[in-house]
This record gives sequence, structure tokens and C-alpha cells, in this order.
Amino acid sequence: MDILSLAIKDILRRKGKSIYILIAVVIPVAILSTIISTIRNADTTLSNLASKFGFTIMIQPKSISADRIDQLGVVVDEYISEASIVTVKDIIMRILQNNRDPIIIAPRLYIKTEIDTKNSRTTSILAGIDFKAELDARPSWNLLEGRWPERDYEAVVGKTLARALKLSLEEYVTINNKEFNIVGILKEHNSPEDQMVFTFLRTAQQIFGKIGLVSVINLQNVLLDRDDSLLRSAVEDLNRGIPNIKAILPRQFSTMKYIMLKKTFKFLITIVIATVIFSIFSLFNIVTSSLYSRIREIGLLKLSGASWLQLFKLFFYEYLFMGLAGGILGYSIGILMSYLLDSFLLKIGSEIRLNIVLFAITLFIGILCSLLASYYPTYKFSKKKITETFRTQWEV
Amino acid sequence: MNRNTVSERPFLELKNVTKIYNTFAGTIEALKDVSLKIHIGELIALVGPSGSGKTTLLNIMGALDRPTQGEVWFEGTRIDILSEKQLVDFRRHKFSFILQDARPLRMLNVLENTLLPFYFFKPQSSKNIKEEAIEIIKSLGLGHRIYHMPNQLSGGENQRVAIARALITKPSIILADEPTANLDRENRLFVIKTFKRLTEEKGITVVVSTHDLEIANFADKIVYLKDGVLLKISTQSVPSEDRTSP
Repeated sequence: MDILSLAIKDILRRKGKSIYILIAVVIPVAILSTIISTIRNADTTLSNLASKFGFTIMIQPKSISADRIDQLGVVVDEYISEASIVTVKDIIMRILQNNRDPIIIAPRLYIKTEIDTKNSRTTSILAGIDFKAELDARPSWNLLEGRWPERDYEAVVGKTLARALKLSLEEYVTINNKEFNIVGILKEHNSPEDQMVFTFLRTAQQIFGKIGLVSVINLQNVLLDRDDSLLRSAVEDLNRGIPNIKAILPRQFSTMKYIMLKKTFKFLITIVIATVIFSIFSLFNIVTSSLYSRIREIGLLKLSGASWLQLFKLFFYEYLFMGLAGGILGYSIGILMSYLLDSFLLKIGSEIRLNIVLFAITLFIGILCSLLASYYPTYKFSKKKITETFRTQWEV
Repeated sequence: MNRNTVSERPFLELKNVTKIYNTFAGTIEALKDVSLKIHIGELIALVGPSGSGKTTLLNIMGALDRPTQGEVWFEGTRIDILSEKQLVDFRRHKFSFILQDARPLRMLNVLENTLLPFYFFKPQSSKNIKEEAIEIIKSLGLGHRIYHMPNQLSGGENQRVAIARALITKPSIILADEPTANLDRENRLFVIKTFKRLTEEKGITVVVSTHDLEIANFADKIVYLKDGVLLKISTQSVPSEDRTSP
């Protein structure tokens, strides 16, 4: 027998009144949970989308004359040292400090060359790449058929080129007198890559005598994608720190989207704060009227030996539990709402994601609302004189 | 203990107590210079019409309210000047209160309502308090209602639960404000006879305010009040033909 058990009995056996208070707690928590879940989903979706369309930073040779840019838009016959990769990584790591998002560095060597098949010949671009880095950075870069190269002299070709050369899987093409086995055909991406041949960077360097050289170094990092100012300082540091290179931003649009998302998030958080404040006032009124209806009970408890502090504790426990229950319920409703909103309205392709930090925040907000709203009425009613409580004709 | 063992030394004494309420309509003198001595084991009835000051007097006796003037002494301690914290301790161990509308807490069953005080402080007795509560409940004729909720009980049964709760702390004095007002005759007599038995067998002092002179006749002393003035204290029972007013 203690105050805590009395509080629990009070909540469980006074369901009608408990539900009113619970609803007042659930509303702001559910709104908060919905908004944060939706924003988080949008953020993740945007991040995935951004990764589909390319890299964060592209590093290319500093001076490129117009004739060094192939009709496919890639830099040929101008190179940067492969050793620069170490410096690039150092600079980016210094900028990002303790951020744990991976830094993906994908060097490419572009060679304009003749490509011979059994029946035809064409000029195109051979790209020597690091397949693992490319696939990590671009999960949407997929094959239409076949597999990714595993050995030297294996290659994949873009769909447009495969169609032009009437290439199919396991056929051979000759590049610079070396035979390459075509093991995969890329899906069409409506980009210059649809007309290229891709093989290992090392193989391309060897057959064209370009050991230690690359045409571009692509870099991807999620934090840089999201933070415009960080991205700009990374570009400045790279341009300052490595001679004869030029770091550029190939996809400003995704950064802009993140900035928009951040602004939207700030606006929505303002709405949440307003809702929380409004709910605290509503809850204050509900708690006051609930305690007023329990005024004879308060008198009876005091007559039975309860001090004001014990009564305060009793009510504190009750509202703490309400806040806790409201937090859990509000979080669950918020997650569900966020999913439904996405399914029927936003359609950004999110799924139900449980997040421990968001859960902790919503729980905290639920308890905070409940305790802030109930503190003053609880204090006031706990301090009521016994004789005052029995002058008021309300139901126990 | 029976009435022959009633101590000559008062254990609750009111000295020239006056209580004035300040309201928007002006001041109301609820008690005017009331002096009263109550001894251990007495059953006292406070009688008088509505507004005569019965409840105010009970509140002051039980230290629920402080007099505007005068003194209240309990077992040699002046209780009207004690702090709220000291009064809480007095209420826990010395006083018990029963009210006219003594509906128990509706979220607790009969046993839990009887044990209500011990949610807030530890019992003094080392005996199993739950068994003790069940004994008290049975002695009040509620043995078959131990785990029933208040809304399953009649008015008279609820009043008995209030008495059980009042007894569980083994108080020196029980202050009951119109405890029989809403009851039928059978339950009224049950309640007052229970009080009588408590004074005689356990030496508990009981002060009851009532309109009902049939009930008042069970008392050792009848205190007549009118307009806040103590008219007289009588040890004589009221003749049946004179049971309408003091």
C-alpha cells in the first residue's frame, strides 16, 4: 500500500476522466511524431534520390580546353594524378570532422577509343572505374542483364552502345588490341553513360599506358549533400589544397532541395511548438476541472492523514503516467499517420520506420505537457484546506 | 472501559472559542465564546438547527479550522496554534472523522477504503493490518461486502465503511458530522449504537453532531447550540414529546 499503487488504481478505475486527459496529451505528441517522421522519411528518400543522380563533388583537371571535352561531355586527354586521392580524402575528413557518413571516392579514367566487334566498329569512350565505389555511391546504377565484371578484361556496356553495335552478353569487343568479354549491359539512364564501355580502372590504365593517372575523381558524402555551407568550404579547400585540379558541384539541385526541406522543417516545428503550447493550456483546463470534480476526494484523503505533499505526489504520479501513456500512444499514432499521409497524399515512397530518438523525444514531450499543465492545479488543490473541500458540493 | 471510568480531567477543552467568517456579504459570527470540556470515553451529541454552528464547532475540535479567538487544548497540547505538519500527525494518530456524506472513494473496494489511511502512513500496530481491517469490517456487519465497490453498497453500508476507516487508525476521538442524516431508522440506530459501544468498550471519545434527538438521547452529554451560542449542556435525555428543538 503506497501512493504509487493508489495513483495506478485511480487511473485504471477512473477511465472516463483519464481518457480526456490522455487525448489532450496525445494530440500534440501525435502531431509532433507525424511531422518529424514525415520529414525524416522525406530526408531519407531525398538522400536516396540524390545518390541516384550522381556525386557530390567532381574533381577534374584545372585547365580543360574545349577540344578536350568529348561530345559525350567527358574530359579526355587531360589527367590528374591518382595520388591526389589521398589528399582529397584528408581534406574532406578534416571538413567533416567526426561525421560518420561514409566518404565514397570514385576515380575514373576516360579514354576515347575505337571499339571493334565482329561486324562493326565505332568510336566511343572506355571508362576505367572502381566498380565497388561506383555501386556504393549510386545504388540505382543497375544492369539490364548479365553481371558486373569480376576479372580483368571483362566489361559492361551502356544500352545505347550495345544496341548500336548489336552486342549481346558473352560477346567480345576489341579495344586497343585487347579483347574484352561483355558480361553485362547497363540499364538505360538517359545519360552519356548509355554510350560507354566500363571496365576496371587498373585495366584501362594498363592497356593505354596511363598508370597513376585518372580523368576525374568523383566524391560522395551525405552530409555534404545536406549542408550547403560545408559543401562550399570543401570545394574551396580542395581547389586551394591540390594544384592543377578544379573541384565542381555536379548537382546543385539536390543541395537546394535539402535547403528547402530544412526550411520546411523549421516551419513545421514552429507549428508543433504552437500546438504544444495550445495543448498545455487545454490540458490545464481539463486537469483543473478534473481536480475540481475530485474536491471531496481530496478532503477525504486529507482527513485520512494525507499531507499536501503526499496528495501532490499522488496527482503527480497520475499525470506522469498519463504523459507516459500519451507519449507512447501519440508516437504510435504519429508513425501511422506519417505512413498514411505518404501513402495517400505525399507519395514520397516512405515506409514505417521506428526510431528510438524520436520515440524518446515524443515521450519527453508527452510527459512535459502533462506535468507542465498539471503542476499549478495540482499544487493549488493539494494545498486546499479540508474545510474548503467539504463546502464544495461535487461528486467524489 | 465503561462510562464509570470516564476521566475527570478533560482531554479536549475549548476555552472561549469564537469563530468569525469574513464574507463579501459581511462578517458571520459562527461561534460565540464557546467553552466546553470533553472527557475520555464520552459520547457527546451536538444538537441545534442548521446554521447553529455544529459543524464549525466540530471542525475546530478536530483542528480542521482555527478559532478567531479562544483556545483549543487536546491532551495538554494547545492544538489551535500547531503548524499544518503537526496537525497532519494529530489527524493520523489521534483523530478520526466521519462525514454526513461519507461516500467512500469509488475507485477502492471496501477493504481498500478501510485501509485508506495506510496509503499515507505506516500503522502503529505490528499486527497484520489487513486482518485487523477485515475484523473491523465484519464487526460492522459487512463481512459479505469486503471486496465490493462503493457503488454496490447501500447508503447505510457506505456509512459503515466510513466508520471502519475511522476505526482502523485506533483514534482517541471520533468526530462525526451528521453521520446519520441520510440514513433510515434502522441504519441510524446501528450507527449510534456502534458509537456507544466504542465509547463503552474501547474508551474512544465520540462527538456527533445531529438534528435527530432520538440519536442525541444515546449521548452521555447533549450540547445545545443556537446561532453560534452554546445554550446548555445536558446529561438528561430529551423527552419524546420534546424532540423537535432544544
